This record gives sequence, C-alpha cells and structure tokens, in this order.
Amino acid sequence: MKNRFWLLQPWITLLFRLILGGVLLAAGGLKVGHLQKSAMAVRAYEVLPISVANVIGYSLPWIEVGLAIFLILGVFVKQSAMASGALMFIFILGIAQAGIRGLSIDCGCFGGGGQVAAGQTKYLAEIFRDVGLLAIALALTKFPGGKFGLDRQ
Amino acid sequence: MAKAPKTKDSSGSKSGGGDNFTRWLVAGMVGLVVVVAVAFSLFSNRTNTAATLPSTVKQSDGYGISFNSGIKPVIDIWEDFQCPVCKNFEAVVGEYLNQLIVEKKVNVIFHTLSFIGDESILAANAAACASDEDKFLPFHALLYQTQSAKENSGLWNAKSLQDLGAQVGATSDKFTACVKDGTYAQWVANVASDGAKKNVNSTPTVFINGVEIDRNTQYFNLEAFKAALVTAGLKG
Repeated sequence: MKNRFWLLQPWITLLFRLILGGVLLAAGGLKVGHLQKSAMAVRAYEVLPISVANVIGYSLPWIEVGLAIFLILGVFVKQSAMASGALMFIFILGIAQAGIRGLSIDCGCFGGGGQVAAGQTKYLAEIFRDVGLLAIALALTKFPGGKFGLDRQ
Repeated sequence: MAKAPKTKDSSGSKSGGGDNFTRWLVAGMVGLVVVVAVAFSLFSNRTNTAATLPSTVKQSDGYGISFNSGIKPVIDIWEDFQCPVCKNFEAVVGEYLNQLIVEKKVNVIFHTLSFIGDESILAANAAACASDEDKFLPFHALLYQTQSAKENSGLWNAKSLQDLGAQVGATSDKFTACVKDGTYAQWVANVASDGAKKNVNSTPTVFINGVEIDRNTQYFNLEAFKAALVTAGLKG
C-alpha cells in the first residue's frame, strides 16, 4: 500500500501541477488583454485603497501566468505552489468578505468582475473552487517532486 | 522523494549539472518576462500629461468631453460605446439630455471608457474627433444606434467610423485623418486611468453633482432621472 503511494505520487503531483497551473494560466491569460477590467474587478472588492487595487489589477494577471508556467513546466514547484496557495487563500478571504458585507460583485477570477445585479453572485461556488485549488497547492508543497518537471529529482 | 533545492544562490547551476541550468534558465526567462510585462502594464495605464486633447476637453473635467462647463447641475456620464447597458441608458435619457444641453440647463461631461476592448478605443477616439467638428452629440447617438450585439466584432473600424461621421456631417479631412490615425488614442487611455482613480467600476456610471445616482431606480427611468436632476437644482 505504502509502495503504491510512492509509485503513484509523482504522477499525482504531475496531475495536480497541470490542474493548478492550467487554472492559473486560464485565469491570468483571460485577463492580460483586459487590464482595465481587471483593475475594476479588484476595486470592486472595496478592500484596498484605489491606487493599490489598480496596481494589483494591472499586475496580478501576469503573475498568475508566470506561476502557471512554473507549475506546468515543473520549475520551483514547491515555491510556486506556496505562492499559488497564498493567492488562493487571499482570494477566499476577498470573496468571503464580499459575501459577508453584502456586496454584489463577480469575483473576476477569469476576467469579467465588477458589480453584478443582486442575486447574481456565486460566492459559495467561487469559494469551494478556491478551497479545492488551495488543497491542491498544499499537496504540491508537501510533494513537489513529480514526473516531467525541470526541478532536480 | 525529490526535493527542490532552495534558491540559495547561483551556485546551484554549477553543482546541479545541465538539468539545473535549464531550470534556472527557464525560471529566469519567465521571471523576466513577467517583470517586464508588469512594468509595461503599470506604465501604459498611467496618465500621460503630454497626450493630445480634443478641443472641448479640459484636464480639470477629468478629461471628459464637457458641454456647458460652469453650469449646475453637473452630470458626469462614464460609458463605453460597446456596453449594451449604456445603449439602454442612452435610449432612455439620451434625447432628454441633448435637449437640456441645447437649452444650456445642465453641464454634461461624457467620459468615454474603453475597458471592453479595441473597438471601444476606436469609437471613443472617433467621438473625440467628432467633437472637434462640433458633432459629438449626434455621433454619440449614432454609435449607440449602430452598436454591434457582439463585442469587438469588427463592425467599428477606421472606415466604418468615418462613414458614421459622414452621416452626421463630419466630413472634413481633419476628421478623416483623426479617425484613421487615432489622434486621441492617448487621451482615451487618460480617460480610462481617470476612471480607475475615481473608482468607476461599471458602465454606465452616472454622477449628478458628484454623487452617483441610484442604479436600481434612477438610471433607466426617465421620470426618476428628471426628478433627481430637479433635486440637484435643475430649473424649469
């Protein structure tokens, strides 16, 4: 049983890298062409000062794409997974506070974002998705060595 | 169990052999591209004070196209020509607003945002070109009437926008060149960066005397909109 885990683990790590990296690549890639919209989405959380929110809106999509490439190619998997997990944790907090405060926004995770009509929010689904991704990031932090990665085995 | 070597220093590339070199090379390249892209994005979304401005625009109006500056009440309209809800807003209040502008009863400032994409930039630039010809209002109305159901569909390009301009009487060589050359593209970016600073998070966003009106009740109901203006000091 234990042996089988060690046999499978590098493949599971590869799978997790592709899932987390794939989601981040989609999330960042859909936003890099619409940075004004991205900044709008960050502002709509009403947490950060406007100028800080704008800087994050303009830069976060690129950082997501960078992390995605690291994870998919298997470069610095442990560090990239930690950074991705930290991002997911912040996203969960951001979405949860929006829900608790009764804001009506789209998370803007995959482009879009900003205010939506009341009743159009999907906070719970968004949080569940990010919790799942956070779990994957944590698993990768624990088991960063996988198949087809550039990290030294 | 593989263990990723910690990022102590560059000596990793020597001790780790070829594989490790590749790893650092890839990490370095990806990192560099991300840093350059972030720097470029931050830079290009800054306000460019050297931008060419349409003749009706003042920086103090937040780069908006202003009619009847100095009159109260002041109506700031933040819009994107490709936004379908803006089209609805225009359909409800557009004609009434034009009338108030002609009668010089309000100061309306149009801020043409462009977050939906390239065709928003083209349309906003063309609208600024039209404003130089004193044809902004009819051109503004015509853009919404001809809005494509799909974003960035290719409907609006230099040629089609010149044709739309001709329909409202903007036919000068200056207008044609202005649309083709994107003379006011940098101004369009400045309007966007001003909207970002003023926390405009959706379109349309309408302020009367600096206060946003109620999105649920006052945007798409002409009577409620009129009432809000009267409260704000609109006379007769």
